[in-house]
Amino acid sequence: MISFGKPLKIALGLIVIAGLIIVPMNFNRYGLFILSQWAVMTIAAMGLNLTLGYAGQVSLAQGAFVGIGAYAAAVMTTHGWPLPAAIVVAIVLSFAVGWVLGYPALRVQHHYLAFVTLAFSTLAFLVFRNESWLTGGIYGISNIPRPHIFGFATNKPLPFYYVCLGSLAIVSLAVWWLIRSPWGRAFMALRENPLRAQSLGIDTRRYTLMAFAIGSALGGIAGGLYAPLTQYIDPVPFNLSLSLDLLMMVIVGGAGFYFGPFLGAMIAVLLPEWLRFTEGYYLMLYAVAVMLLLIWSPTGILGILDRYLAERRTKAASALRAVAKSRLETVQ
Amino acid sequence: MKSTLLAGALLAFATATSVHAQAIKLANVAELSGGGATVGTNWKNGIDLAIEEINAKGGVLGRKLEVSHADSQSNPGVARAQVQKALDAEPYVLLGPGYSGSVKVTAPLAAEAGIAQIMGGEAAELTQAGNKFLFRTSFGQQSSMPKVAKYIHDEMKAKTVAVVWVNNDFGRGGRDVVVKELDRLGSKVVADLSTEAGQADFAADVGKIKAANPDAVFVYLNEEESARILKELKRQGVTAPLMGETTLIGQKVIELAGDAANGARGHVGLTTDAPVDLIKAFREKFSKKYNYVPDHNGLKGYLAVYMVKATTEKMGKVDPKKFADTLHGLTIKAADEPGILMDVTFSDTGDIDRQSFLVEVVEGKQVVKQVLPKVK
Repeated sequence: MISFGKPLKIALGLIVIAGLIIVPMNFNRYGLFILSQWAVMTIAAMGLNLTLGYAGQVSLAQGAFVGIGAYAAAVMTTHGWPLPAAIVVAIVLSFAVGWVLGYPALRVQHHYLAFVTLAFSTLAFLVFRNESWLTGGIYGISNIPRPHIFGFATNKPLPFYYVCLGSLAIVSLAVWWLIRSPWGRAFMALRENPLRAQSLGIDTRRYTLMAFAIGSALGGIAGGLYAPLTQYIDPVPFNLSLSLDLLMMVIVGGAGFYFGPFLGAMIAVLLPEWLRFTEGYYLMLYAVAVMLLLIWSPTGILGILDRYLAERRTKAASALRAVAKSRLETVQ
Repeated sequence: MKSTLLAGALLAFATATSVHAQAIKLANVAELSGGGATVGTNWKNGIDLAIEEINAKGGVLGRKLEVSHADSQSNPGVARAQVQKALDAEPYVLLGPGYSGSVKVTAPLAAEAGIAQIMGGEAAELTQAGNKFLFRTSFGQQSSMPKVAKYIHDEMKAKTVAVVWVNNDFGRGGRDVVVKELDRLGSKVVADLSTEAGQADFAADVGKIKAANPDAVFVYLNEEESARILKELKRQGVTAPLMGETTLIGQKVIELAGDAANGARGHVGLTTDAPVDLIKAFREKFSKKYNYVPDHNGLKGYLAVYMVKATTEKMGKVDPKKFADTLHGLTIKAADEPGILMDVTFSDTGDIDRQSFLVEVVEGKQVVKQVLPKVK
C-alpha cells in the first residue's frame, strides 16, 4: 500500500470511521445487530490473524476462546458484575488457556497443530455443555444484561453498537501498535523462518506461546461482547464451525494483512445476509463465492490488492531501471 | 346528490377491494440449515401446505396469507438477527423458531414488539417466564412427561427405572422433568445415561442398563437413534418393558427397527401416526406434496397457521395487538376448523391442552392402548 499517499490514506481512514459512526444512526434494529456482529467477529478474527497470519501458527480453536470469553462474561454479568470487569476476566482467562494451548505448538506444526487445536475446540464445547452447574449446560444462560457505560444504558441496539465499535477501535489500535513493535517483528520472523529467528536471538519458545496467548485473549474479548449482544448463549454457537468460520475470515480477508480480518469478517457476516434473497441457495452461493475467491487469489482479498500494487511497483522499478540503463549506455 | 352517493359507493368499493387485496403477512424464522435442518424444514413445509390450502379456499376473512421464510442456521445468534429483521417488517404473527434455545433468545424481542409468536420449542421453561405473546404448537415437556412418569409408576409398576436420553435441549429437558416426576412418585432411577445426537453404537449404554437391571427403561432419543438402541436392547436380551415419548414408537422407528420395536410403549401427544382421521388425511396431503412422510414438526408448522386462521376469525378482524389476548384461553374445535386436526385449548401461559394417546407397538403396528383426555 505504499503507493497511496499518506494524507490520502488518513483521509480514507477518517471517512470510513465517520461512516461507521454516522451511517448506522438510520439503520433498523436488524442492520445494527448485523453490524455489531461484524465488529465482534472482526475482533476475534484479528486475534486469529495474529496467531496465524503473523506468527504462522495454525489454530482451529479461536471459536472456543470466543466461547470462553462469552461464558465468562455471561456468568459474571448475570451475577451482578459489570461488563468491563467481566471482559478483563475473559481476557486473563483466554490468555492463560491460550498460553497453555501454545505448548503443543512448540512440538508440532501445521496440520498436526491444527488437529491438536481441533481437539481442544471439541473439549471446550463438551465443557460448556456438560458442566451445567457453571454454564447452564445445553439450556445455556439467558437474560444476559447489557452494560451501563459511564452511566449510559446500552440496552438499545444503537448504543450497544457503539460499545462494539468502540471496543473494535481500541483493539485495532492495540494490534496496530503490537505488529509494529519488536514483538510483531518477532512474530513475523517466527512465521518466515523460525531457525533464523532463533539464531538472531529471538526466544522462539516464548514468542510462540505469546502469539497463541494474545490471539486467544482477543478471542476472549470478542466473546465478552458476543454474550451481551445476543443476550443468550448456549454451547452450539461455539462449536468447531465458529473456529472454521473465523479461520475462513482470516484467509479470505488476507492472512498477515492488518486489514484482512475487517474485510474477511465483512464477507463472512454480510455476504450470506445479502444473498438471503436466493432463499434455499444462499449458503451454497456463499460457499461457491468463497471457493472462487480463493482459487483466484489464495492470499485473500488484500492479496489481490497487494499483487496489483506489487506489479505496479515492479513496473515502475523496471521503468526506472530502463531509464537508468539507457542513461548509462549514453554515458558510455 | 346522486353523483356524491355514487362517488361514495365507488370509494367504499375501492377501499374494500384494496383491503381485500392486501395479504396478511406472516414471518417464519426456522432451522433451515445446520443441526436442526430436519426440524425447520418440516416446520416450513407444514406452514406452506397450510397456507396453500387456506388461500385456495379464499384466505382468512377474504384476505390471502403470505409468509416469508428465514433461516436461523440452528444458531441462536443468527435466529436473533433474523427475528429482528422479521419484526422490523411488522408481520401479523411470528412463526418459529423450533429450537428452544432460539426461542429463548427471540421471545423477548417479539414480546417487546407486541407481536404474537407461535413456536415449536418444547422446553418446559419457555412458557413459565410470564411472556404474554408466546404460544406452543405442541405439549411442553412439563405436560407430557408427568403422564409418562405416571404410566411407568402406576401401570408398569416399576420400582426401578433406567433413563436414556440424548444430550441436547430436547433430550435434556425431557430427562429433567421425567426424573423429577419419577422421584416424586417413588420410582428409583438406577441408570441415568446421556447419549450423543447421531450416536451409532449403543452397546455400552445397553450394557449399563443390563447391569442396572431396572423394572422399566425410559428411552428419549431422536428417531434414528431410537431404532438403533431398540435393536441393541433386543440383541443383548434386555427384557424390561420399554417406554418412550413420541419418538420411540414413531412410524420411522418401527420401520428401521423391525422386530426389535415390538412391545415398545410410548406416550404420543402429536404424531402423524395418531389414530385420528384428520391427521391421517394431513399426512397423505403432505407426503403427496413433498414426497416424504412428515414428522411432528411438519404438523406443528401446519397447526401454527391454522391457529392464526382460527384466532383471526374469532376476532373478526386482523388485529396484531389483540391477537395474543384472543388466543389465550381459546378453544378451537376440529369440527369447526378441520385444519386444527384435534380439539385444542390454549392456556393463559400459551400452553396447549389436547387429547393424547398411550400406544404400544404390536407386530410392527402402533396400537392405541389408552386415550388420555384433555386435562380441562
